[in-house]
Amino acid sequence: MIRRLGHAVAWIEDAALVLVLLALIGLATTEIVLRNVFDTGLVWAPELTRLMVLWLALLGAVVASRSDRHIRIDVLARLLPPRGRLVVTLLVDVFTIGVLALLCFHSARFVLDAYEFEDTLLEALPAWWFQIILPIGFGLMVLHQLVLAFARLMALAGRPIAIERGE
Amino acid sequence: MIVLTALVLLLLALFGAPLFAIIAASALLAFSREEIDLSAVAIEFFSLAEMPVLIAIPLFTFAGYLLSESGAPRRLVRVTSALFGWMPGGLAVVAVAACAFFTAFTGASGVTIIALGAILYPALREAAYDDRFNLGLVTSAGSLGLLFAPSLPLILYGVVAQIPVDDLFRAGVAPGMLMLVMLATYCIVVNRERRQPLSSFSWREVGAALREAVWELPLPIVVLGGIYSGYFAVSEAAAVTALYVLFIDVVVLREVSLRRLPGIMRESMLLVGGIMVILGVSLASTNIMIDAGVPQQLLGFISGFVSDQTTFLLLMLLFLLLLGAILDIFSALVLVVPLMLPVAASFDVDPVHLGMVFLATMQLGYLTPPVGLNLFIAGYRFDKPIVDVYLSTLPFFAILLVSVVIIAFWPELSLWLLRPS
Repeated sequence: MIRRLGHAVAWIEDAALVLVLLALIGLATTEIVLRNVFDTGLVWAPELTRLMVLWLALLGAVVASRSDRHIRIDVLARLLPPRGRLVVTLLVDVFTIGVLALLCFHSARFVLDAYEFEDTLLEALPAWWFQIILPIGFGLMVLHQLVLAFARLMALAGRPIAIERGE
Repeated sequence: MIVLTALVLLLLALFGAPLFAIIAASALLAFSREEIDLSAVAIEFFSLAEMPVLIAIPLFTFAGYLLSESGAPRRLVRVTSALFGWMPGGLAVVAVAACAFFTAFTGASGVTIIALGAILYPALREAAYDDRFNLGLVTSAGSLGLLFAPSLPLILYGVVAQIPVDDLFRAGVAPGMLMLVMLATYCIVVNRERRQPLSSFSWREVGAALREAVWELPLPIVVLGGIYSGYFAVSEAAAVTALYVLFIDVVVLREVSLRRLPGIMRESMLLVGGIMVILGVSLASTNIMIDAGVPQQLLGFISGFVSDQTTFLLLMLLFLLLLGAILDIFSALVLVVPLMLPVAASFDVDPVHLGMVFLATMQLGYLTPPVGLNLFIAGYRFDKPIVDVYLSTLPFFAILLVSVVIIAFWPELSLWLLRPS
């Protein structure tokens, strides 16, 4: 059950990533054709492409969390024996989860503010439609980090489990 | 108290906490110390959506990953062999040129060693070059080309330093060529005994190689020609490249099946996400540091014992070498450049020149332990112990170091294409 849920989450994340990237390529090239061939342009296109880049950044970071492949310097951890390394990595996980939870919470407040003040982007669309990716992204990263930490805890307890990394 | 938290964060980083989490934590701590609402971090992060040049990063990265999964690396090697294979030590020169070209397109993420090294390393061995030489060459050439358009670090430097990316693309040409020519010359000199060239020059082979690569040929022309002539903005060139590469690899040549496409997209966006999330949180941490006057304090500290530009540049080189040994190029860029720019400006270092020095030195960081990315990738890819890989790169490292020193102390090299007078 939980395994299938993890599989579904990974599938949705990947699908969103692929869709946004394809949409970005499509919109950016359409805009070029319109400008150079028809000498016109979509007023909202530049802003929308920039928002898509933000979405890609967060979705990409979510996938990096899921695969445990964020940019890091683990020089000291390499020197430890396997078990010690597992313990240290778990402590580091707790820190990462805490930071991500704070980022998620405060970006949710940011979006809530935009909702209450009825901020708009792209002429007249509610800004929170686009900003919502921040708490969602950081939230998913918390989730994946929790799963990773749990898997390490189980490994430490001598009962390793396989987790969905979607690779 | 501040020192203590800094130490704890440093320790966490060295034990493998993701860098974005470290930077985010320091930003959150700084904001709460200044009693600023913590949702400011989210506001700063959201300003990623206000930087038009950033669009180029996912698009070029995706195009590069896709190219490396297709037959393009093999065709690129064939074209360069046809052009340079007649020289003594020709295959080594081929390797240098092909790697530089490919790295510029794939954004220096280690893809070059995987895609091109897999072709060049066995070929070099077959041509009876010394194994240690081959390993060193393929590993160190894997980050060559960083200074050529449209490489990812160049674009990112433009974003962070708020300099037009076109200027950086123009500035990178001469220093990039210097590194390339010096490395190629070394290859020729080392293999001067090897008088037997790879092949004799033949127009027929050049024609055949070019014909085989006919679909990829427009790429450098459109991208480099478009950008350098100013016809395309960088983000436009990126969009055209992404669509075109997608079209030829999936529809025309069919070297990448539709089924593999989502995986390639995910892999490339994983890198983009990893870099951009660091950029996003460091926008917050940088702003608070600038508000707190950190650059001025830094300047005050440095000008206490440095008074002239030469000493400053020398000191900066040493610092960047150390930095490159522990941080990857992207994190170093977004973290250090905003603080370094005002200091460098007061020593009359042009921000464009600073960029060239910064990136060229960081390129050496790919080859220095403990976190030299190329060392690990090459060790993994060619199944060699890291120490062997490291030792094999030393002569190449020395050559590149000399070129970095030249780039640092000869600013006109970076700037002459910018000021045609």
